[in-house]
Amino acid sequence: MKKTLSILLTLALLIGLASVSLADAITLKVWGAQDDQELLVQLAEEFKAANPENEWNITFGVVGEPDARARVLEDPIAAADVFAFSNDQLVDLVNADALYEVTRNVDAIKAANSAGSVATATLKGALYGYPMTADNGYFLYYDKSVLTEEDVQSLDGILAKAEAAGKKMFMDVSNGWYIASFFLGAGCTLDLDENGKQICDFNSERGVLAGEAIRAFTASPAFLTGDDSVLQGGMGDTICAGVSGTWNAEAMKEKLGDNYAAVKLPTFTMGGEQVQMGSFLGTKLVGVNTQTAFPVEAMMLAEYLTSEEAQLARFLKRGLGPSNINAAMSDAVKADIALAALAAQSAFGVSQNVGGAYWGPAEAFGLALENHSDADMQGLLDQLVEQATAE
Amino acid sequence: MEPALQAPSVSKRLLRRIRSFWGHFSAQGKEIWTAYKEGDAKTRASFVVMGFGNLARGQLLKGLFYLVFEIGFFLFQILFGARYLKDLATLGTNQQGRVWDEAAQIYRRVLGDNSMLILLFSVVTLATIVPFVVIWRANIKSALLAQKQVEKGVKLNTFWQDCKTLLDGRFHITLLSLPMLTLTLFTVLPIIFMVLIAFTNFDKTHQPPGNLFTWVGVHNIADVFWGSAVKSRTFFGIFGWTMVWAVLATFSNYILGMILALIINKKGIRLKKMWRTLFVVTIAIPQFVSLMLVSRMLTDTGIVNVILQKIGLISSPIPFLTETGLARASVVIVNLWVGIPFTMLMTTGILMNIPADLYESASIDGAGPVRSFFSITLPYMLFITTPYLITTFVGNINNFNVIYLISAGNPLSLDYFQGGKTDLLVTWLYKLTVNEQNYSLASTIGIFIFLIVASISLVVYNLTGSTRKEDQFQ
Repeated sequence: MKKTLSILLTLALLIGLASVSLADAITLKVWGAQDDQELLVQLAEEFKAANPENEWNITFGVVGEPDARARVLEDPIAAADVFAFSNDQLVDLVNADALYEVTRNVDAIKAANSAGSVATATLKGALYGYPMTADNGYFLYYDKSVLTEEDVQSLDGILAKAEAAGKKMFMDVSNGWYIASFFLGAGCTLDLDENGKQICDFNSERGVLAGEAIRAFTASPAFLTGDDSVLQGGMGDTICAGVSGTWNAEAMKEKLGDNYAAVKLPTFTMGGEQVQMGSFLGTKLVGVNTQTAFPVEAMMLAEYLTSEEAQLARFLKRGLGPSNINAAMSDAVKADIALAALAAQSAFGVSQNVGGAYWGPAEAFGLALENHSDADMQGLLDQLVEQATAE
Repeated sequence: MEPALQAPSVSKRLLRRIRSFWGHFSAQGKEIWTAYKEGDAKTRASFVVMGFGNLARGQLLKGLFYLVFEIGFFLFQILFGARYLKDLATLGTNQQGRVWDEAAQIYRRVLGDNSMLILLFSVVTLATIVPFVVIWRANIKSALLAQKQVEKGVKLNTFWQDCKTLLDGRFHITLLSLPMLTLTLFTVLPIIFMVLIAFTNFDKTHQPPGNLFTWVGVHNIADVFWGSAVKSRTFFGIFGWTMVWAVLATFSNYILGMILALIINKKGIRLKKMWRTLFVVTIAIPQFVSLMLVSRMLTDTGIVNVILQKIGLISSPIPFLTETGLARASVVIVNLWVGIPFTMLMTTGILMNIPADLYESASIDGAGPVRSFFSITLPYMLFITTPYLITTFVGNINNFNVIYLISAGNPLSLDYFQGGKTDLLVTWLYKLTVNEQNYSLASTIGIFIFLIVASISLVVYNLTGSTRKEDQFQ
């Protein structure tokens, strides 16, 4: 009896080993956000069905887009073959030679996605990522019962109404991503030169004026800062307007009900003139790791995960705005208030070519203003630029 | 106690230890030199062909063991080690390249040198020399022993007899070899590897396998101290705060915990056990849970600010965690919550141990409660708890949890290089590694943390009464 059992067990083990080492299986690891896992599995199943000529062994890991750069660069060899990341990480990933150039079907991919989203995935003329969403940007949510369409045209209008009503306007000024909107609106440059070195002229004359405008904004009693949870908790209650992105759309809808509204960012007063706030054109991209053993297959999968059907599925399931032109033109997407506001704002968007050194000092700068620092604006911005452009 | 028996000063003891360390080495050298002088041709041959002396005298298994070890060692060096050692000086020159693959329509990557692997395996290869030297020495000694025993006409040990001594006369070797091996593999080698990284330019622009990194000498150390204004400003700023934090966090918990224990211990306090239990309950909640909750409570829209605003005490939120001074005060105060119960528990036990007759005689001599605290309680406590204080102090220098979970080192400052005003050296190091991938700078900081912590603990520990007057414990 025992003998039979042990023979059976050995056989089971052998079969198990054999199935693992099945010849020619294409093993790919995919990283995506926690909330995307279900969708990823479903898309991968469809992908396998569409490509039956290969034996696929696709596994999934939870690494959200914001963490992708850190996790990939930690150990590129152990990282996923195909991973999703926010476009602000593109520069560092390309500098580390961690991303394959998109060279297969490149013209079709460029044609299928909006020009803005393709630009965010392009560096020095080469496309490095497959555009997946075009909603990684910010705009203004507001409470229709407090503010009119007229009010939300300018920051002064919002603040005046909010102060009168004893309500707050939310913006996370101690965050380089949001605070850049003032400087970009003022026409300052935050870009990379051809050697991949950061250029930043926030300490120019117009930059100082924009800095003073932020100082005036933070000095208003209606100004409120914090992270997403602050906005989610206070909207409709103490907060009447807030700068955020589509990931908060559901929460805003729920809190505001019929008073839910979203528009492009307002204008702000800078040295006496009204200037439209700018923003980053943020996208999420899918990249293929240069260390993958199956580059061609990984690219096929990446392309599938960002195809028109996949993007539409992503919108329907997660509410994420597609970068694919056809998907974006669908009626369901067009009817989305938040995505419409984002589309309106994207006219003032700038492609986000920013290295990792910018974020820390930018946060420190915003924090100084939030704490009502009376330091010389030129001095603060000189420090910001020095650190952001440091090697 | 005779003053002559007082322990020598720290510096003298240190000097003595260093001398005995080198003395050990030179004795080993002498031993091998003697073996060479006294050895006959067969023994001397063992210097080159390991195990020759044993083989020639009939100890076949033992001799073979040495020989196989030697062959294995050199094969390893040639087949495995040489590949990496040859690039150790440059850490690789061949960068990952790309070639256009027309059929697949992609730029195929051509793998280049991987600086990290070169460094890692070079360290491993060089480290194998240490066991080689140890076994080589054992081989010589064994050859000489065999020679002498043959000269004297003593029967040589068989292999089995030698093995048996491992369970008897050389039992320490049997017991300690596994711990030593694992310690070397998992602690010593990684430390050497990490220390070496401090002398390279391994950061996100030199990230293998895509890019190479190379030796830059003391560039990083220079940067921290004088080379780069912003980095040295950050280092010294954060170092200063780390020390202030360690002192404040250690002594605030110590003194307040002791006072709490004294209060509970006081005669006339009822329900002593209940009070103690209540404070101990805070230990039952995992530290990180309390810390993260408090961190949420102290935000601008956290419960503390909301309540204060609702009852009209303040009009705008207090920036508990975003203003430098307040944030520093907040972390110290919140740390009391996780620290006091432990001190209270520990001191309670010691306080109950102080002989009551000391207090009685003191009160007969007319000492009040304050006088007895400073003359009896505090000296007694300090005598016993100094080693504990040192470990706590050192622990606080590296108190990652409390700082990272409450303030994450923030508020960030424009004065600092990717660091914040409540950052400790160790949380700054974390940020440099995880957010910035600046491994070389982080490694440099790590070395300094080690030096600071090691020297403080060594010096203070040697100076304390607990070690110097061990025998005088009352």
